[in-house]
Amino acid sequence: MSRNAVIATLSTVGTLVAVGVVVVLMMVGGDRRALLIGATTDAHHQLELSCETCHAAPAFADPETAKSELNKTCQNCHEDALDDADDSHSRKRFRSPRMAAYWEKVDARYCTSCHVEHRPDITRASAVTVAMDFCVACHSEGEQDIRTTRPSHEGLSFDTCAGCHNYHDNRALYEDFLVRHAGQPWLKPEPVHALSAQYRAWKPPEESAVGPGGTMAPAAALADSTIVAHWAGSGHAAAGVTCASCHAPDVADDGPQRDVEAAWIDAPSTSVCRDCHRQEVRTFALGRHGMRQHPELAEPREPGQGLAKLGLDATLPETILASLSDPAPPTHMHAAEARLPMRTDAPTEPLNCGTCHDSHAVDIEHAAVAACAACHDDAHTQAYFGSPHHALWLKEQAGEAALGTGVSCATCHMVKGKRRGKVTTNHNQNDSLRPNEKMIRPVCLDCHGLAFSLDSLADTDLVSRNFTGRPAVHVESIEWAIQRAEPPDAGR
Amino acid sequence: MKRKSLKRLAFGLGAALTLTATAADDAGVPYPQVTDMIYQVVSADRSVYTRLVVERLTIDEEAITASEHFEDDVALPLPAQMFRFGAELVADETEDFSYSLLSLHPINKKNGPGTDLEQQGLQHALDNEEKFYGEEELGGQRYFTAVYPDFAVSEACVDCHNDHKDSPRTDIELGDVMGGVVIRIPMD
Repeated sequence: MSRNAVIATLSTVGTLVAVGVVVVLMMVGGDRRALLIGATTDAHHQLELSCETCHAAPAFADPETAKSELNKTCQNCHEDALDDADDSHSRKRFRSPRMAAYWEKVDARYCTSCHVEHRPDITRASAVTVAMDFCVACHSEGEQDIRTTRPSHEGLSFDTCAGCHNYHDNRALYEDFLVRHAGQPWLKPEPVHALSAQYRAWKPPEESAVGPGGTMAPAAALADSTIVAHWAGSGHAAAGVTCASCHAPDVADDGPQRDVEAAWIDAPSTSVCRDCHRQEVRTFALGRHGMRQHPELAEPREPGQGLAKLGLDATLPETILASLSDPAPPTHMHAAEARLPMRTDAPTEPLNCGTCHDSHAVDIEHAAVAACAACHDDAHTQAYFGSPHHALWLKEQAGEAALGTGVSCATCHMVKGKRRGKVTTNHNQNDSLRPNEKMIRPVCLDCHGLAFSLDSLADTDLVSRNFTGRPAVHVESIEWAIQRAEPPDAGR
Repeated sequence: MKRKSLKRLAFGLGAALTLTATAADDAGVPYPQVTDMIYQVVSADRSVYTRLVVERLTIDEEAITASEHFEDDVALPLPAQMFRFGAELVADETEDFSYSLLSLHPINKKNGPGTDLEQQGLQHALDNEEKFYGEEELGGQRYFTAVYPDFAVSEACVDCHNDHKDSPRTDIELGDVMGGVVIRIPMD
């Protein structure tokens, strides 16, 4: 055989092997990260071992089906937030055929029209990949030409829209809201974050409290006096949550000691927390800290099913099937995997409720600041310590200021909400970010005026300094809204 | 007139239309009859909401207000908003039909005519106070489109439209045609 023939044979065999490997990885199982067509965006990088979480369409589906199925998977995680945001460009609004003319411009029926994954070269904040001036596609002609319907916008270029508007969430930016909140002082006379005050003031009924004598646990567990002391001083003990409530959740609170010992779990899972803190655990799985526990994440593929689809024998020995299996996706996030700056001595254990709250002390004050700073090491976090917000937090913690006057990391990033009379904490740390104007209504406006809030959040340097100082940026939205509501020639 | 099987339309239209669909023969029901039925349902729902909820609670009982920003104002949604929310919910569930509330003089410009047939139908409804049927192609799909005149039946509607800063028309009176309900069905 000539040298060329050998090379040709090796090349053909190599190509066939490579194609075979790719087909097996795509259709049967295995670690597919080497096949990624580009780096995933922040947060989504946590799901790289679980392609089907996003790519739910069957292999070789037509492009329309693939796009439609992809869209549904976006909704799995993001739809609730968009509904809450009263989405200004909701998908359902654009599904009407009367919007067909817009489909050819920016097809708002599909998330991927503006958010393309695996394209780090064109990806901006909030995973936006569409051109900065994309608003021009629909708001520059006819009745929708914003430059003719809003004299204040005459001469503005379309790459500046995002300076005042958001595509989805404009709850703090719509015209009537701006007018209603015009003229407010930068700081309100009695600045208190109302829901934080209510939350911190809440105490369980005294009769529900249990002491060390009222809880059952194996002797070995009770031998750790530090753990017992932490629990005894916690809100759990005050609310009647015993050792067995978490470590033996299937045993009745007054169950016999032997049952508690038999059912004892050393490290209870998040599902135990969910029994009482349903809203907190649900929202935890919507944010970057807990998204690997989202219920809609795809399970690893079954290699046998893939082989059957290829018309191959799926009754292979277990060892071979196991070698073809998808690697098990991690069930928790770790600080070391974060793309934000993290401390080198950040905790290495998987992120769960206990990481921030301490499983036994369940200290919400610790979770509100110290727990964040144990991992995060960016300029904004570093600048918090010594900032005006931090000073207020210290005063409140020292009992020198009223509840709700202090501002912790959690005040802004774990936003409180109230539903059916109960204050809960949204554990999706991203819910008040991206864009940060989402924070204005549930947080900033309790203490600050709208104009000051808009300016402060638009000043990236001030954000980086954790709001130490005054904003050097001015957003003109309120003045423009006032001009339209009370035009100078209206004689008012 | 082409026909469309009502079986595809039964989903999402509620019990009344479902019963009608069950009774329909396999040959289907003419498009105008289908859009007429849809119109009866959505129009009746809005009338009931307007009279028994909004007018009663805001005007008669003075128990609560109705507001465009009903969440911020802890108020009732306006009848037109209730109508649109229903239309969006349907659009989210099915592509078998769609409906919208439009006007030649909309407060929000996105609710103005967006197609030639909408313009024609809304003008016809305004001029003649009667419904209009037509066909149009949108996004590569042929649609049967019906436009029904939408009359000012409530003082609440008239006052809001006449007083709103973005309203292009401020002389609406009770009984006037304010716009039209547009219903579309994709044709086979």
